[in-house]
Amino acid sequence: MEREYAKNAKNAKNVKKEKRVLTGVHFMQGNYAVVEGALAAGCDFFAGYPITPANEISEGMSKRLPGVGGIFLQGEDELCSINAVAGASLAGAKAMTATASAGYDYFQEGLEYGVAVEAPMVIVDVQRCRGENFATQADIMQVRWGPAGDHEMIVLAPSSVQELFDFTVRAFNLAEEYRTPVIVLSETTIALMRERLVIPGEDEIPVVNRKWTSKTPDDYLPFQADPWGVPEFAGLGRGYHTIYSINPHDEKGSIEWDPDAFERLYTRIPAKVAKHREKISTVQRYRLDDAKVALVAWGSEARPCLDAMEVLRERGKKVGVMKLDVPWPFPEEAVSELGRLMDLVVTVEMNVGKYAGEIERACNGRCRTARVTKNRGMIHSPEEILEALGSLEEVR
Amino acid sequence: MRTTSIRFSGFGGQGIILSAVVLGDALVIQRGLYAAQTQSYGSEARGGQCQSELMVSDKPILTPIRAFNDILVSMFQTALDSYIGSLRRDGTLFVDSGLVGDLGRVPPETARHEVPATETAIALGNKMVANMVMLGYFAGVTEMLNLEQLDAALAENVRERFLDLNKKAIRAGFDLSRDSETNSRTNAGTNNGANGGRR
Repeated sequence: MEREYAKNAKNAKNVKKEKRVLTGVHFMQGNYAVVEGALAAGCDFFAGYPITPANEISEGMSKRLPGVGGIFLQGEDELCSINAVAGASLAGAKAMTATASAGYDYFQEGLEYGVAVEAPMVIVDVQRCRGENFATQADIMQVRWGPAGDHEMIVLAPSSVQELFDFTVRAFNLAEEYRTPVIVLSETTIALMRERLVIPGEDEIPVVNRKWTSKTPDDYLPFQADPWGVPEFAGLGRGYHTIYSINPHDEKGSIEWDPDAFERLYTRIPAKVAKHREKISTVQRYRLDDAKVALVAWGSEARPCLDAMEVLRERGKKVGVMKLDVPWPFPEEAVSELGRLMDLVVTVEMNVGKYAGEIERACNGRCRTARVTKNRGMIHSPEEILEALGSLEEVR
Repeated sequence: MRTTSIRFSGFGGQGIILSAVVLGDALVIQRGLYAAQTQSYGSEARGGQCQSELMVSDKPILTPIRAFNDILVSMFQTALDSYIGSLRRDGTLFVDSGLVGDLGRVPPETARHEVPATETAIALGNKMVANMVMLGYFAGVTEMLNLEQLDAALAENVRERFLDLNKKAIRAGFDLSRDSETNSRTNAGTNNGANGGRR
């Protein structure tokens, strides 16, 4: 069975006939933009189990990956898929899986493993609600805190088809750079939407690869790095006999229950991400320079916020928008700056009100805060945001 | 141009979503505009309500849905009944005249186009291309794009073996918009998914 698989994999490597990067202007559905972003970033392994509204990602991968020398695996379930991705990654592949909210529940064990063994992995969660293809942003806390153990998750939240492409590329690059699972937090609204997508030339797309060790197997320590650093990588099956265990391990990879070793490992693993938070957690600022009121949103909800901002600006209100590209790690500095500079910070999100708690914590009582939430399976309209803001004295 | 919101509606299997995709593809790729297409449909493969919304603009589109549409295309009576309330009163309505008989709820200030799309498609040999007859008619009336631009988008979204039939349907619809008296009627036709929609 394994030999058969290896043979197929080898054959697949020989079938390099299709273009990896589809440079040009497209009218493309969001889920396919994820596929193209992954391929542009160098993805060569995908495993997934069907679920709407993420199915087009698997479908697209099954069509595209073999043509560029990659491997597609339909898992028998989500557990198989995420663990196959971890395994492929440890063998040196750039690996991805995709699911939707209910399927994401099953990923937690694999994510915990990926964090512990420092496997670069990209996971797409297309958030859905009401059991079907209805829009939501309800998974925002699960993607941060889902797996057990100490970790600092990197979560990118695209707001458009273009960003689904761009952020998927970035997710692979971050996964490679920090050797950790990275989540692309998609949503029904953008996943099933078709929009203009511009795919740049292959040379214009930055691609990061993990640092492979140049040490011999005798000298190589698979989990050695400075306190907030990333260890060098050696792929499975190349003579480096590393144990990749979810159990606490020392620099050699030996299972080690000693509290010092445990503390060393679980200081370094979250710190390698947290220490680089400002670089990772980018934000987009819209008309905030002279603003007194800031709308804060991530993902698709940034879009009606920007529409609402334009309407309020026409009415002479000093309103701006901060769009968080990367909700996790939390963009602490950018949001606490809003707390210092604004009279009012309003979190707009498509759930019962979850991320708002983080925004309010970072504003730390230095300005007034408010929430505009909606949990009906549909994105906010600008009118709904305007109506909700109408009751606030800073906006009235 | 100001942002225009168009809703295509009908029942599953009529190629409602494909109409919006072909139009959006043509406007984005051929005309260099911005478009955002969203959709909803029942889980049935055929039957059930189906609608797709297309927003078009010369600048990037933010909120991809609108409370009120500028244009509504309804290929079935129940679709019209569901969505006429979200058409601006001074908007433009296109209906398949063979499948939408009751226009009683359409406000008097709404511009209306009654298009024998399914009948024309049957005359062409396959009722499944009624959506493309409608799209051709739509292009003729709105002048948002020409036939060559639609052809190019069709080639991207329709299987090759159905391409000629779809092109013919678009032309037939376009001609109807130029001469609303043209109205060929036959009862022939098959139902084999002639759009062969991809994606």
